[in-house]
Amino acid sequence: MRYLTFFILTLFWVEPALAQDLSIQLLDRNNQQPVIQAHIKDDTGTVITVSDVNGFFSINPKKYPHIVVSAVGYASKEVHLHPGLKSIYLKPQVFRDDTELLVVATGEDQNNVHAYHQRANTQNMDQFLDNIDGLSTNKRGAFAWEPVIRGQADQRMNLTIDGMQVFKACVDKMDPITSYVETSNLSKLHIDKSGSGVAENGSGNSTLDLVTQRAEHHPFSLQIQSAYRVPDNYRHLNLTTNISDPSGRNAVRFSGSYKKANDFTAGNDRTINNTQYEKLNLNASYKHTFRSGHSIEGNYITDKAYDVGYPALLMDATKALADIGQVQFNFASSDANFQLDKVQLYANTIRHWMDDYDRDVANRAVMRGMYMPMYGETVTYGTRMNGKAALLGHSFNWFLDGYASHAYGDMEMNSLDPEIEDMFIYNLRDVQTRNVGLGLKHQFRASDKILLKLEENIRYKSLDTGNESFASFFEGLYDRELDTRQKILLSASGSALWMLNDRWSLTGNLVYSERMGNHMELFGHYIYNYTDGFFYDGNPWLKTERTFNTDVNVTWETDRNSFSISLFHKQYFTYIDGILAEDVSSNDFKFKQYANVGDAVIMGGEFRSLNNINHVISLENRISYLYAQNQSLNEPLPLIPPLKGNSLIHLHHGKNMLMGEVEWAAAQNRVAETTSIEDQTEAFAVINLSFERKWMGSSLSSILEVNNLLDHYYHTHTSIGNIPEAGRNLMLSLRYNF
Amino acid sequence: MNMLKLWGYAALLAILAIAATSCDTTDNNKPELELIPVNQVTVDGYTISLEAEKEPETGANTLYWKLEQNGNIITPQSISIQPMMDMGDMMHSAPYNQPKTAEEDDRYFKNMAVFIMPSGSMGSWTINFEITTPTDEMISGEIPVEVASSWKLTSVRDDNDKVYFITWYAPQKPVTGQNDLTFLIHTRESMMNFPAVEDLVLDVYPYMDMGGGSGHSTDFTNPVATGDGFYEGDINYSMSGTWTTSVVLVAANDTLPEVVFEYSVQAQ
Ligand SMILES: [Cu+2]
Ligand SMILES: [Cu+2]
Repeated sequence: MRYLTFFILTLFWVEPALAQDLSIQLLDRNNQQPVIQAHIKDDTGTVITVSDVNGFFSINPKKYPHIVVSAVGYASKEVHLHPGLKSIYLKPQVFRDDTELLVVATGEDQNNVHAYHQRANTQNMDQFLDNIDGLSTNKRGAFAWEPVIRGQADQRMNLTIDGMQVFKACVDKMDPITSYVETSNLSKLHIDKSGSGVAENGSGNSTLDLVTQRAEHHPFSLQIQSAYRVPDNYRHLNLTTNISDPSGRNAVRFSGSYKKANDFTAGNDRTINNTQYEKLNLNASYKHTFRSGHSIEGNYITDKAYDVGYPALLMDATKALADIGQVQFNFASSDANFQLDKVQLYANTIRHWMDDYDRDVANRAVMRGMYMPMYGETVTYGTRMNGKAALLGHSFNWFLDGYASHAYGDMEMNSLDPEIEDMFIYNLRDVQTRNVGLGLKHQFRASDKILLKLEENIRYKSLDTGNESFASFFEGLYDRELDTRQKILLSASGSALWMLNDRWSLTGNLVYSERMGNHMELFGHYIYNYTDGFFYDGNPWLKTERTFNTDVNVTWETDRNSFSISLFHKQYFTYIDGILAEDVSSNDFKFKQYANVGDAVIMGGEFRSLNNINHVISLENRISYLYAQNQSLNEPLPLIPPLKGNSLIHLHHGKNMLMGEVEWAAAQNRVAETTSIEDQTEAFAVINLSFERKWMGSSLSSILEVNNLLDHYYHTHTSIGNIPEAGRNLMLSLRYNF
Repeated sequence: MNMLKLWGYAALLAILAIAATSCDTTDNNKPELELIPVNQVTVDGYTISLEAEKEPETGANTLYWKLEQNGNIITPQSISIQPMMDMGDMMHSAPYNQPKTAEEDDRYFKNMAVFIMPSGSMGSWTINFEITTPTDEMISGEIPVEVASSWKLTSVRDDNDKVYFITWYAPQKPVTGQNDLTFLIHTRESMMNFPAVEDLVLDVYPYMDMGGGSGHSTDFTNPVATGDGFYEGDINYSMSGTWTTSVVLVAANDTLPEVVFEYSVQAQ
């Protein structure tokens, strides 16, 4: 009945448009309701018109062939106008708050307060992530920092590429998957700090999704970028091109990137040995759009890293190979009761070789007097699909995903003493993870100003080892018969967004999540943990770890300024951690087994402000704080960053842009004394400068950066082994667009 | 209905992807008796063959006896044996039991013998036998056996010079992961009589020397007496390589000196 009324009203209100003008209606993609007061902007961001009470606006397509539509509560959309276009569907972006943050890395829109780090292109992914409020990185040297959201790393967060599960192959966490997406290939970072996007993330864990840049339908572009940095002799060359045929139906994008660095130098001219790396990354994508509006995309990433030094660890990576492929079908929107929006099929394999042939193994404290080359491999297949459905007048989004992953890891131990027989260990053997999940997302408009969202997810997850001998180790250790470990996991979230007026908005999230231990926690064997110096054995019989997260955010936002404060409290129940295995431990070899150790809590908050004072000056400030406590042991959790932040000032003048940044962190005196060997860390502040200039009608841009201007010698609290950060360094980047 | 179909299709795709990578490795082939010939003698037209799963060595050996006449295997009514080592100035036997029909293959008789010394310059082993054929004929003789030295046997003496022979009964081939750990313990009452000892408490400790002056143990259960001189526990090797396992016997409040087995564990 409602639809009928709406239909009649629509007919009644249609106004005769000028002959050459198009009359277009803006509709909510979920409920087909008109979107009112949306801003229709041209390429320069100037507002041309505003949609009326029925979502209609008129426009001359000859004058404005390309428009940008933006409306409060919706994702802005770029549209090419063509005769016959009658309606534009906008995707509700209900929760544009700080905890579900969309970071646009290659944002062209200079004045957009959401545009984070306009210098992202010259930065590597690690530095880029490290500077986002609520995020930090665990470091093991100069390469491949491990991203952490609100103090939760690795198995306690979701880290995905285009939503795909990609499992690390290194049992020492040398290879966070962030290193497979170069910033030039990053289209968006989707950060859901609260984990409230339960339907899609599957677990209610904090989520970081790296959304890659796909082939686009524009005729031809070619970008060449190169960078050189002293004193570590870092070289970077990147080439990116996008071509599409005249019809725009077929598009191809290719990007290649090569990086090489020597050892870096910390403050006061101290060279940090073994921090070199070399890396090649290729990414190809293809998109075909059918006449029906459906499209198919293929994307393949191959990444090869060689000779990567990890000064914090016992060994270095000699070779790390990643092959990540996906095919995705996008279905054109329809009005059907059941819609399929997207089907993605993917497969990836990660291979990792590391050894300690370049180390002084005779004199180290752990695993003394032997070389221990290691190999690891993961192979993962998966599928994801999502769409919309309407049942009894209620429409919702659905997400279905499934994956299967196989993990393997081994270690040889070759003693320097020829009398001692070679030793061999399986860290992971034929370990299978399988997961199938279904998530639903419902959005309700409680009033004009209040939006509610409910998400729930049910998952089946199983873990086992296909090898009897490997299984027998766990059977012996825990004195029980091992079968496939399987669990049904539930998670749910409820969120409310209250838009008090066009400036103030308030968001609250409640998230319940359940987590089964991962393949390392259940089936890892003899895995050295650098944070506490223990060797870990898995426990297939771990109970589900549960969390309850409360999260609030207040945002004040105008066209030029925004302030945002988020506070959260996350309670962990049956927290999974290692407990001492006394009977097998010795002074040199200390063992732990995973267990449900009790309760833990992480709370904290983030502050962010972005101010465009005028068209010359803009400011950014970010502050994050975390308090994390293991409540059973009554001591802090390890590897928790202290109060930290950064402040930036951007000065724009014509073709010049100058940026100054102060990056700082308070001292961290809250350290985990019994569960880790970490120590207290002093406060620091460093100054970074960068100057960007455009030349030749903006085709060429040059960026000169000086980082750690005062050549401070310092390390962050989350640098394992207290490996210092780089001292003063100077980098020149050039970027040319054909 | 269309919706249902699509759901089904979607779910099927997801499940297929999961199933594609899973494969069951069912490995339930029964261990077949694989024997090697040890020695053979012919007495009164009967051929007596001694076979074993491995070359005889110090420690526990399972011996398989086969009787043939004119190339046909025949089943004897009984076999009775006695292992004997001739050391020149003296002779001694060993812990052993009498052959019985082998349940895994009834053409064989089977027994266990613990050779307590290797053959060599010190002396040589023979096994004396007496066989009752199906036709009530009695045949007897001796069959020489070459016993190799192994790590699976050691001995310890208490203050009263009472000797305990400690046999590493299982695992015969230690592999990574869980293994049954079984010891077999005998003492010597006379040169011909080696009774099993059933009332000991064992205190074992596995250890791996990783070189560089450091090493570690692994998960294990101390073996306990299960009768007939057997002590059963288990041992769960974390890695392949050379391991040692020390054994301390506690007999009637008398703690004996530690003995150590050293051996190699294979990755499996
Ligand atoms: Cu590694
Ligand atoms: Cu002798």
